[in-house]
Amino acid sequence: MAVQSDIIDDAGPYDRAKALSAFKLGDVTFYWITRLSAISVLLILGGIIVSLIVGAFPAIKEYGLSFLWTQRWAPSADPPVLGALGPMYGTLVTSFIAMLIAIPVGLGIAIFLTELCPQWLRRPIGMAIELLAGIPSIIYGMWGFFVLGPFLANTFQPFMIKIFDGVPVLGAIFAGPPSYLSLFNSALILAIMVLPFITSISVDVFKTVPPVLKEAAYGVGCTTWEVVRSVVIPYTRVGVIGGVMLALGRALGETMAVTFIIGNSFRISGSIFAPGTTISAAIASEFAESDGLHQSGLILLGLLLFVLTFFVLAAARLMLMRLEKKAGN
Amino acid sequence: MSELSVSMSAAGGLPQAPVLPEAPAKVTVRNLNFYYGEHHALKNINLTLGANRVTAFIGPSGCGKSTLLRIFNRMYDLYPGQRATGQLMLDQTNILDGKLDLNLLRARVGMVFQKPTPFPMTIYENIAFGIRLYEKISKSEMDDRVEKALRGGALWNEVKDKLNASGLSLSGGQQQRLCIARTVAVRPEVILFDEPCSALDPISTAKVEELIQELSENYTIAIVTHNMQQAARVSDKTAFMYLGELIEFDDTSKIFTSPSDRRTQDYITGRFG
Repeated sequence: MAVQSDIIDDAGPYDRAKALSAFKLGDVTFYWITRLSAISVLLILGGIIVSLIVGAFPAIKEYGLSFLWTQRWAPSADPPVLGALGPMYGTLVTSFIAMLIAIPVGLGIAIFLTELCPQWLRRPIGMAIELLAGIPSIIYGMWGFFVLGPFLANTFQPFMIKIFDGVPVLGAIFAGPPSYLSLFNSALILAIMVLPFITSISVDVFKTVPPVLKEAAYGVGCTTWEVVRSVVIPYTRVGVIGGVMLALGRALGETMAVTFIIGNSFRISGSIFAPGTTISAAIASEFAESDGLHQSGLILLGLLLFVLTFFVLAAARLMLMRLEKKAGN
Repeated sequence: MSELSVSMSAAGGLPQAPVLPEAPAKVTVRNLNFYYGEHHALKNINLTLGANRVTAFIGPSGCGKSTLLRIFNRMYDLYPGQRATGQLMLDQTNILDGKLDLNLLRARVGMVFQKPTPFPMTIYENIAFGIRLYEKISKSEMDDRVEKALRGGALWNEVKDKLNASGLSLSGGQQQRLCIARTVAVRPEVILFDEPCSALDPISTAKVEELIQELSENYTIAIVTHNMQQAARVSDKTAFMYLGELIEFDDTSKIFTSPSDRRTQDYITGRFG
């Protein structure tokens, strides 16, 4: 300020300093707005965890760790018996089968779109994939309930049951009777729902492979399949796994569609054609009519899903880091 | 005019005899035309690549020299809308034949690119990968082949202790020699170099040039370059291209000392391009 009063005649520097200080205020405001936005994420996350723990506390106190390996779910018994084994099993199994189906199909679509597809077919398929991502999950649920479930129960399920009848392990996995509501049906719907994630992310990362690298691979005489397997996928591994993780996160937490078609049975069955339940389906179907310990148990289930998702994603990240290390650098 | 004298002195300092005897033709190009969609990029090209000779292609950017190179291994086939007409004979086979097995062609005609393109795998695998596409050989045989290829790429001494490191961990010059080794490992007959040194420092460039000279004992080589001294140093024959046409094709010493076309002279003396 002292400098400014010294140069009364020369308005230039004075204006400049003033202009700059105005910017400074803008900078500070900008800094705090962005900072608060970032901090709010932490606050929201922390708040959710705390309220889950508070809500689940009565159930934690009542059942302790045995909640994790109790299969029985009898909220109307006296005292109520609650165990999370059934929903946890259902959540993991449906997500696992869904990924088993969605990863190869999703990558296949992505490879076809980027490497093999004739130009005129690219847009229609790409748009269909995007539309698939835009369908609300309740619609998948209804479609699964009214169309896919009966269809599978009349065709695919009896077929598989007949084929694997008497085969040691597979016989138990594909054991009858066919059912409209089953773990497998839910997994298939989940696979369709997460497919767009895997495909669109894979397409995006496949496009980042430098053309000259692919040309080099073709140049030593690779076929398209060899180029994809040995150059495109290794080069884009990190991005593809990221897409798969996003899809897995969605599959673990998906509620509405699954609630419609999984059958909401807490009993664990070895067969994937039997009804089951997932954590989110159990909460959605029972929360409205619950109170007391039952409600606290459902909140504890929610907390478990939170932890489960966290661990699955953390494990995936760890695997990714291992892979990176193994690849050298 | 000073540039002319530089070029001439470079040409004068050729390591090999000024004019080698005429070599039998390995690749013969007859009436070749090339189109990017509607654009007529190469016009009526006729030339031959002599067996075990180095042929350089020079000319200003966009003159079609890289395009021509990419026809020798049908790399253009990867992209829709690009087509070639005419004849391009590799020995007795017409490369432009639609029924040709492209993978086999590319095993016979290897290519090294402007930027080093190591595959995302270890140094060892970078070499073994190409060999495995064509041959089923034992681990020990593979070790031999990899060593031989890396020696062929003048890289063995630098990487023999870290064959399991990623190919991407090498320096730019080393990566380029790895790519050359990878190309040689497949035992091609012709090797195409598309401005192989433009991303390299002078020392790496010298190494790669030396390598090209050595390779010409066993392979037929075509090299596209923007560096006229390089063309003068490494090649036996030089083709000057301009606007999609082959203007002049002759012994390198003749092109750089007494070109017969006005445009060639203008280009090598730096008046345009």
